[in-house]
Amino acid sequence: MIATSDRIDLASGVSLSNAHVADVVRGRSWPLNNSGVFILERVGHRLDVVVREFAEAFDLPLDVARFDALQFIWTLNALALVNVIQSGSRLRRMKDWLGFALRLAPAGALPTPITCRHPLDTGGALRGVVSSLRASTARVVAIAAASTVALLPLVATVGGAGRLGYLAVALGIATGMGVGLHEAGHVASLRGVPSALVTRGRRTYVLHAPVGPVRRSFVAVSGPALAAATGLVLVVLGVAGSEPEVLISGLPFVAHALSLTVIGGDGRAACGI
Amino acid sequence: MRNLKAFALGSIAFGVLAYAGAAALAVGAQAAGRSLVVGLGPLVVVSVERETSAAVTTFGPGLLALAIFGGCVNVAAARLLQRRAGGRGDGVG
Repeated sequence: MIATSDRIDLASGVSLSNAHVADVVRGRSWPLNNSGVFILERVGHRLDVVVREFAEAFDLPLDVARFDALQFIWTLNALALVNVIQSGSRLRRMKDWLGFALRLAPAGALPTPITCRHPLDTGGALRGVVSSLRASTARVVAIAAASTVALLPLVATVGGAGRLGYLAVALGIATGMGVGLHEAGHVASLRGVPSALVTRGRRTYVLHAPVGPVRRSFVAVSGPALAAATGLVLVVLGVAGSEPEVLISGLPFVAHALSLTVIGGDGRAACGI
Repeated sequence: MRNLKAFALGSIAFGVLAYAGAAALAVGAQAAGRSLVVGLGPLVVVSVERETSAAVTTFGPGLLALAIFGGCVNVAAARLLQRRAGGRGDGVG
């Protein structure tokens, strides 16, 4: 959802010059018409202000100007060229989202998710890992929290107390961290390649400049390989020390091995499909 | 080359998953103080044997069989997808 009190900002690696919007990561640029340039020259301003100025400058009814401007921004956001800076409290945004979702429910649809593009430092493998983990922190925490909450009823059903509660939390954290490590693995293998971490709804992915087929396979494998290798270490430690908790907390990481197969996009990319 | 990659990746994935699953069963059996034998016919995947003061866990050739099976399944799936799918842009999940 985009509210009129929100602002927009060009994503990192995206620039506006000579009536073109250029993306360093994709290595492409797109021409803009006068309306597009007018709106993108006002990044950082509140959208209601931008819409009003747009309507005045192009002599349009306010409703038409709002529709055109928001449609343009939605398109750029879906392409991860523009980030939406949301205003207001998180609670109020959640309330607005729920209200909108309820209105859409009869149609069996959900509000379109907002795309968020984060910059990545691919100057070195370690720098890549650190910048990826930093960029995915909010996503990792959200997945960890959601996984823990989803597992707690299961624990309650089993009737376990402290130990099972601890396991639910450990599994939740491992599930979230698995996603973070998976993306970090991709970024570590993208040394010197302009890249960005993109989150859109439930999806998290690394957008990167085109690379050759061999490098592409390597990049695709690196993500699930890092997460699965971490899990394998935990499983081996759990077996060696007869520590079920350590072993079980390694299972969400190990599950990323499935992404190596053609079930997952990474496996398909690695096989050139 | 694509078949070889698909086989290698499928084998690694299934091997890792099978090992983790077998390890979880073994540690569970150890914690419960039970013996356990999991196998594919004559091929043992994992066994836990109780001795007087300790449990002995053995991972058998069944794990290798599962890995090879996974590789073959992945090759078959890759061929099927290849027939149906076109290319896609750069980006990794």
